[in-house]
Amino acid sequence: MLYSMFSLIALAISVVAVVSVAGAHAAWAQTAPFGGPRPVAIDGFAGWILAEQAMFYRALAGMLHAARDNGSALWGLMGISFLYGIFHAAGPGHGKAVISSYLFANEETWRRGITLSFISAAMQSVTAIAIVGIAAVLLGATAKLMSDTVHLIEIVSYGLIVLLGLRLLWVKGRNFAKALRVKWVEAQAELQSSLSYATGASFSQFRGGSATPSVLHCNCGAEAGRDQAARYHCHGEHDHHPHDEEQDVLPWGHAHGPEPEELAGSGGWRRGLAAVIAVGLRPCSGAIIILVFALAQEMFWAGVASTFVMGLGTAITVGTIATLAVGAKAVAKRMAQRPSGYGTILMRGAEFAAAGCVLTFGILLLTGYMASERMGLF
Amino acid sequence: MIHARPWPMAPVVLTRLTLFIAALTGVTATPAQAHPHVWATIRTELLYAPDGAVTGVRNIWTFDDMYSAYATTGLKAATKGTFTRAELQPLAQVNVDSLKEYAYFTYARIDGKRQKDAFVAPVDYWLDYDPKATVLTLHFTLPFKKPVQAKRLVIEIYDPEFFIDFGFADGDPVHLVGAPPQCTAAYDKPHDDNFSSSQTLIQSFIPNEANIGMGASFANKISVECP
Repeated sequence: MLYSMFSLIALAISVVAVVSVAGAHAAWAQTAPFGGPRPVAIDGFAGWILAEQAMFYRALAGMLHAARDNGSALWGLMGISFLYGIFHAAGPGHGKAVISSYLFANEETWRRGITLSFISAAMQSVTAIAIVGIAAVLLGATAKLMSDTVHLIEIVSYGLIVLLGLRLLWVKGRNFAKALRVKWVEAQAELQSSLSYATGASFSQFRGGSATPSVLHCNCGAEAGRDQAARYHCHGEHDHHPHDEEQDVLPWGHAHGPEPEELAGSGGWRRGLAAVIAVGLRPCSGAIIILVFALAQEMFWAGVASTFVMGLGTAITVGTIATLAVGAKAVAKRMAQRPSGYGTILMRGAEFAAAGCVLTFGILLLTGYMASERMGLF
Repeated sequence: MIHARPWPMAPVVLTRLTLFIAALTGVTATPAQAHPHVWATIRTELLYAPDGAVTGVRNIWTFDDMYSAYATTGLKAATKGTFTRAELQPLAQVNVDSLKEYAYFTYARIDGKRQKDAFVAPVDYWLDYDPKATVLTLHFTLPFKKPVQAKRLVIEIYDPEFFIDFGFADGDPVHLVGAPPQCTAAYDKPHDDNFSSSQTLIQSFIPNEANIGMGASFANKISVECP
């Protein structure tokens, strides 16, 4: 019992800490806290990734040049674009933090996590191509106009992430509060039943926020309200059926918490779409610069293909990280199935924290404290 | 009553948990900043007044072809494939205006002390386009707020976010214009321009001063001594 509690607390704290540290690290690197920015020395694994990203990025320019005269260089261009996509998604942006937190906060399968990653990466490619296609090709717009457009899209995207975070926080906060209250009710019930089990006394009907509920009698269906997020069911004579409860009336009897399918919620495809659109709106700066360069080289279609292939690479990296987030959730869930009762609270608590992470990332992005890509001297 | 329940699975689960956290940490230890998207070579002149004080820094930055193509997109050119200074003037204005937000990437240290807001707004700025190399070069003068009389002046040029990778041009990138005869200038090329294609993964993990690439500070430094 102590072991499981300790492990659950450790898991919840460490996962939230890791995600927060990643976000805070990004934010910290961006600000200049001690007066005047200093160049940051980048070592080891992170330094290697940065170097590979820059190398592939420069190679893309060379390949575009070569592909102009030599058709077979197009294959090399696609290969380099793919590798660049994989490596550069490790840097800031591309929705890793937001998607991971979102997946942790919700009951999502790893298939859903990968699908969401692919959709958001595809969206980012499409947005980049749309901006360059419309602005540069059709309107003959300047780089300044394109940069301004990207800034505008950024604000919309980050604003959507904030809204998504707020909504998640609300839903998960409610679940968390419910889990806490259920535990409180259980504790009360155990106390009462151990005090007067012999007398077989019935207890007064539970109402409002205090007093003692009955574990012997169950009055399902008495106070039915509309509440999608949490359903409680009664034991004993009653069938195992879900029933709605009003938010401020505590449940009768023994509650297991919401069924996983119910937590996952209805809506299917539409549900993850909010997260994906919020994240996928902002295009990759590198992709835009490369597309414009391709346009200048009169190789726009090669640039388009390159951007999509890049998106594929990005999707793989983001999908990998998303899978880790889903895996973390699975580990937590398995541990929460200990019959200690605290498992549910910690799960709901961890989800609440993850929802908070989404909101935090949105705010950090919007206020410019979290690193996102620049567009150059514009 | 709270029952203490033994949990035989504890070692297995805790091991899995530790491995998992380690993996997650490894993945999140990715660079917190974007890789460079722009490469610029630097030429600098330090401008002196007759009394021996440094009045300003003249920067001449040449950008790479990919960024130059992006920057010049949509600009009207009388002759296809090249741009005149006048045609590039609006772009030069935009660039200079946006440089302000980044402190012009130029930082001054006077007698060892870093000066915040050492410079005022740039003057004498324009963009040149080289049609053969298809690259843009930005010229601008950064006047000092107060002309500098110092034994030792250090100018650093870099982008702290490393979006732009600055490096000194080959040849003689640093000049003193109108300086008293006893002043000497030296410049530091702290990082290797050809990153790391030869760097192996193992080498990256071994902390090693010779392992430059990304591992060292990338500030470009100019030191001027006037004893």
